[in-house]
Order: sequence, then structure tokens, then C-alpha cells
Amino acid sequence: MRELTYINAIREAIQQEMRADETVFMVGQDIRGGVYPHTKDLVDEFGEDRIVDTPLAETGMFGTAYGAALEGFRPIVDFMFGSCAFVNFNETSIMAGQQYFMHGAKHPLPLVMTAAVGMGKRIGNDHAMFIHSTFCRQPGIKVAMASTPYDAKGMFAQAIRDNNPVMIPWHTGVMQKREHVPEEPYYIPLGVADVKREGSDVTVLANSEQLYNALELAEELAGEISVEVIDPRSFVPFDLDTVLKSLAKTNRIVIVDEDWESCGMASTISARIVEHGFDLLDAPIRRVCLPNIPIPGGYMEDYTRPTKEKIEAAIRDVCA
Amino acid sequence: MSLTKAQMVTLFTNLVRAEHFGKMMYRRMMQGKLIGFYHPADGAIAPGVAACSFLNQDDPLWPHHRGHGITHMLSKGIDIKYYLAEHTGKSTGCCNGHSGFHYGFPEHHVHLHSGFIGANFMPTVGYAWAAKQRGKGQVVMNCSGDGSYGEGRAHEGMLMAAVWKLPEVFMCENNGYSIFSTFEEMHPTEDIATMAQGLDIPAVVVDGQDVFAVAEVAIAAIDRARKGQGPSFIEAKCLRFKEHDIGNRDLRGYKPREDEEYQEMQKRDPVVLATERVLADKVLSQDEIDGIHEAAANEVADAEQFADDSEIARPTIEEMEAMVFAP
Repeated sequence: MRELTYINAIREAIQQEMRADETVFMVGQDIRGGVYPHTKDLVDEFGEDRIVDTPLAETGMFGTAYGAALEGFRPIVDFMFGSCAFVNFNETSIMAGQQYFMHGAKHPLPLVMTAAVGMGKRIGNDHAMFIHSTFCRQPGIKVAMASTPYDAKGMFAQAIRDNNPVMIPWHTGVMQKREHVPEEPYYIPLGVADVKREGSDVTVLANSEQLYNALELAEELAGEISVEVIDPRSFVPFDLDTVLKSLAKTNRIVIVDEDWESCGMASTISARIVEHGFDLLDAPIRRVCLPNIPIPGGYMEDYTRPTKEKIEAAIRDVCA
Repeated sequence: MSLTKAQMVTLFTNLVRAEHFGKMMYRRMMQGKLIGFYHPADGAIAPGVAACSFLNQDDPLWPHHRGHGITHMLSKGIDIKYYLAEHTGKSTGCCNGHSGFHYGFPEHHVHLHSGFIGANFMPTVGYAWAAKQRGKGQVVMNCSGDGSYGEGRAHEGMLMAAVWKLPEVFMCENNGYSIFSTFEEMHPTEDIATMAQGLDIPAVVVDGQDVFAVAEVAIAAIDRARKGQGPSFIEAKCLRFKEHDIGNRDLRGYKPREDEEYQEMQKRDPVVLATERVLADKVLSQDEIDGIHEAAANEVADAEQFADDSEIARPTIEEMEAMVFAP
């Protein structure tokens, strides 16, 4: 069975989609050389007109993709780090996100945005911050994050084929995860969660590096507490049905989200569960999120982020 | 170069049409018959007519914010009645009643509008990148005012156009005001054109009240871009006869504009100047000119009729939610 790392699974998705459709191209800053390996050597196959490096000007870089998408191309924008997508938030969220609806729902805007996010490397607030919750609030943008190499390939390929702006960042903490990834192209629909481990006592919703924390915990607690672990995979659209189905069985839920607690995706999911599944709950919902403090650059980072210990405490709390 | 008689007739006709549509928009806004707001272009319609009268259907265009792009779009061959219907909230509008003052004519490669000044530089760099990749000779016309060149986006857009030698024409319609502040207060040099020159983009400054003068340089710039020779910059110095937007006072800095300024400006009305020119050059007779005005008035009346007769867009929330994402 062939194995690939997560980051190379993304690379393979981009490569295969670029081979299949000549309107797909990628724009970023030093993606030819590859600051991260998902674009490494792609320029050798596709040339500088399809692996496009721009000046260090995020707004113009995004503009290149945005305008080209309206003119019939299917661009992938690489922001390198997620927070760089905030430099031109007007273009990414208001102009691109709302383009289709505002202009009569007649001309699609196929555009993929990606970037590295994630704590754990002590690279500080501006390089580590999560962006998915902020983008989830912007109408017209699909938002997804793959946690495993298999999902990464299928979800990236699907994002490139989607006819809407899709923000699909990836977590540096999972980029070296390795597993079997089929060589032939395949597509995982956006908006479908995945039950990564079945259980009966409590549901834990977790994504990216926190998914692995949740899975390890489930293993460690097995015999004492039966933990069902769900990876939402996609935040917009969000697969509430799979969560409610799980809750019907477990009646307890812990939502882990490395983005900030306030107005974050975990808050929205909690609210939807209360609105649509209140009767399924035997205990209050618990969230394990990043507290609303800037992500420190030094060792202090370790104290702020969700950990296995914090998730375990929340699990024990809802199961008490 | 000199313009042909046919080109002069086209320019004069579009100028008159723009004048009639502009006056109608002003009147309807005052009557409460337009949704949102309106930023009149009166006095400054020549650059848009000159920039857009000789574009091809597949040439992407960013119409100027001022005048809500009507001048530019009608010159490119877009039927304005669908935009007027949009501006009145009707389901027959060019954006199906979703937008109010935005326009979207993807079949004419006019994809969007944005309320953010300076937003023009970002999609247009992408249009131009796409045009260069396609290699079919498309040219991007990017029209905006002096205020937009205060945005960092102006630098980024021109930088990339210059670096990649994109087929793009930057039409800067410098009317001397950004909202109320004067150009002299907000810009350190006499001309914005020096910004383009600093990036090695050929740049000219032209009398923006003279539609024929602007057209001569616009045609040259379009031709240059179409041949793959890269971007050009045109600064058309023009005049703003009216307030920034209807409902606001008209100020110079933070004090009302002086009467003398208005009186002086009127002498350089672009339609008056163009009429003198076509008569002097015997391009059109007075009868023909009267006919052009009459046809323009009829076109405007038809557009108003169409907008007024159309139904207000009334989708349900569920229908609106279903239109947030493309299938």
C-alpha cells in the first residue's frame, strides 16, 4: 500500500487537478521554490504561467486569482500563512465571498484559498493563528480543514472542482502525518463529517491536530469511557446531521476547536445543537478552545492551546 | 493620430447619451426613485466615453464608481435599462435585484462593482492576467478616480501590470476631488501620472473635458495593449460639476465651493465643447445633433419605463439562501 504524507497528499491533489484541467493554476509567494513542500517542483511540470509567484503583495496576489476566476480560470491562492489572508480581507471575504449572490447568482467564482495554520511550532500570533472561524462568518465562502492525508487529497481535489470560493487551510501539526493514499484521483464532498472512531458514552468533535489528541484519548479511556470521535472536516457547509445522530447515541458532547473561543466555530456548533438537538443532551455542552488571548510566540504557547489533559477533563466533566 | 468622422460621431453620440442618463439618474435620486445613493458624474463624462467607446465585447471593463459606471457601460454597448432596473430594486435588474447599485454583466465582461474605492485594481489585475494567458488580444480597461490612487491597491495593481506586461489601460479620471478634499491637499505631485512612470508604465496627461482628445490617447493605449506591449496610464484632468453624492453638501475641503468655481466649470462642459467641435469640423449638422439628443432622450425614457414596469424582486429567505453558493 502506497503511503503519502499529508503535505504530499495536497501536492498530489493539486498536481492531478492541474493535469486534468488547464484552467487550474496556482498563485502565491515563492511557491515555485516551495516554502512548504506542497508546491515543490510543480513549476518544473507546469511552468511559470501556472505556478505563479507574485511580488510580496497579498492583495494583488489575491486579485490576480479573483479576477482570473471571473474570467474563466480556476485559481488556487496560497497565502503561505493563514493570517496573511487578512491583509486583503475586503477582497477575500466581502468581494469574493459575496460576489456570486450580490451580482445576481449567475456567474460562479471558483477559487481555492489555502495556507498553513496552527500552533505548536512557537511561531507566534501572526503565523500560527487559525482563520477558519473568521471565514465561517463570511457568507459565500466554503470552509474546510482536512485532518488526515487521505482526506487532504480528496478534499483539496474537491475544493478545486467546486464553483465557489473555498478556504481550506492546513495545520502544520499534521503535515507529516502519513498513511495510505490512493494514487488515482478521488473526491470527498465538502459538508460531510467523518466518524473517525465509534463510541457510546460521549461524542468528541475535533479536527486537525486535535483529532489525533481525541483519538489517543479515546484509546486510553477505552474500557472506562466509550468515546465517539467525529471530524467535522468541513465547517461550511457543516454536517449537523452526523453530529445529531451521534448525540442520539451518546447524549454528551465535547467540542474541541483550536480557534479562539469567542464567536468561534465551536460556539456556532453549540448553538445549533441546542436549537436542533436540545432534547438529546443529558449534560451541558463543553467546549475546549483557545482562550481569547493572543497566541504567544514563546513557551507560553503551550499553556494556551487545547491539550489532551484539557479534553480529558471536559470528557470527565460531561460524563460525571 | 486623428479620429475618423465615424469615430467622432460615435464619441459624440455616447457623450450625449451619457449626459441624458446622468441627468435622469440625478432627477430620479432627488425624486426618491432610485435605491441607495448616487454619485453624479456630471461634467466628467468625457473620459469614460473615450475609454469605452472602442472596446470589444470581450474586453473586461471596470467602470468608474462616479456616475455608477453608466457612462462607461453604455459606451461599451451595454443596455443600461437593466442597470436602472437593478437600481430600482426590480427582479429584471442586471443582478436580479440583489444589489441595488452594483452592476454585473458577465456576458460583457463587466463582472462586478464594489463600494470600496480602489477595489478596481484587484479584479482587473486578474482580468488582465487571464487575458494575457488566453492570448486572444483582450484588453482590460480599468477606470477610476484620483481618490482611488490613494489606496495601496493602486500600487499593487500597477506593479503587477508592469512586472507582467499585462494588457491593461489605467484610466485615471482626476476631477480634483476625493469626496470633498482637494487633489492638491491629498496628493504631493501635480500629476498622478508620475506614479505610473515610476513603475515604467507609459503615462500621459490629457484634457479630460475634451472627449476627442481623451479618445486619441485611449485608442493608442488600447492598441498598444492589444499588441501585447503592456499597460498604459492615462490621466484625464476633468471637472466635477455636482456634489460627491446626492444628499450631501458640496464642499471644497470643508467649506462650500464658491459660485465662481461653478461658473468657471460650466464654460468647460464636455457636451458644449464637443458640440462646438463637431459643428466646426462639419462632422455633424445641428439637425443631426438634435436627432442624437432626441434619440438619447427616448432611450432614457424607455429605460425608465422598463424599470418602472418591472416587478420588485421578492424572493423568500429560503430562495435567497439557495443563491449564496453556485451549484
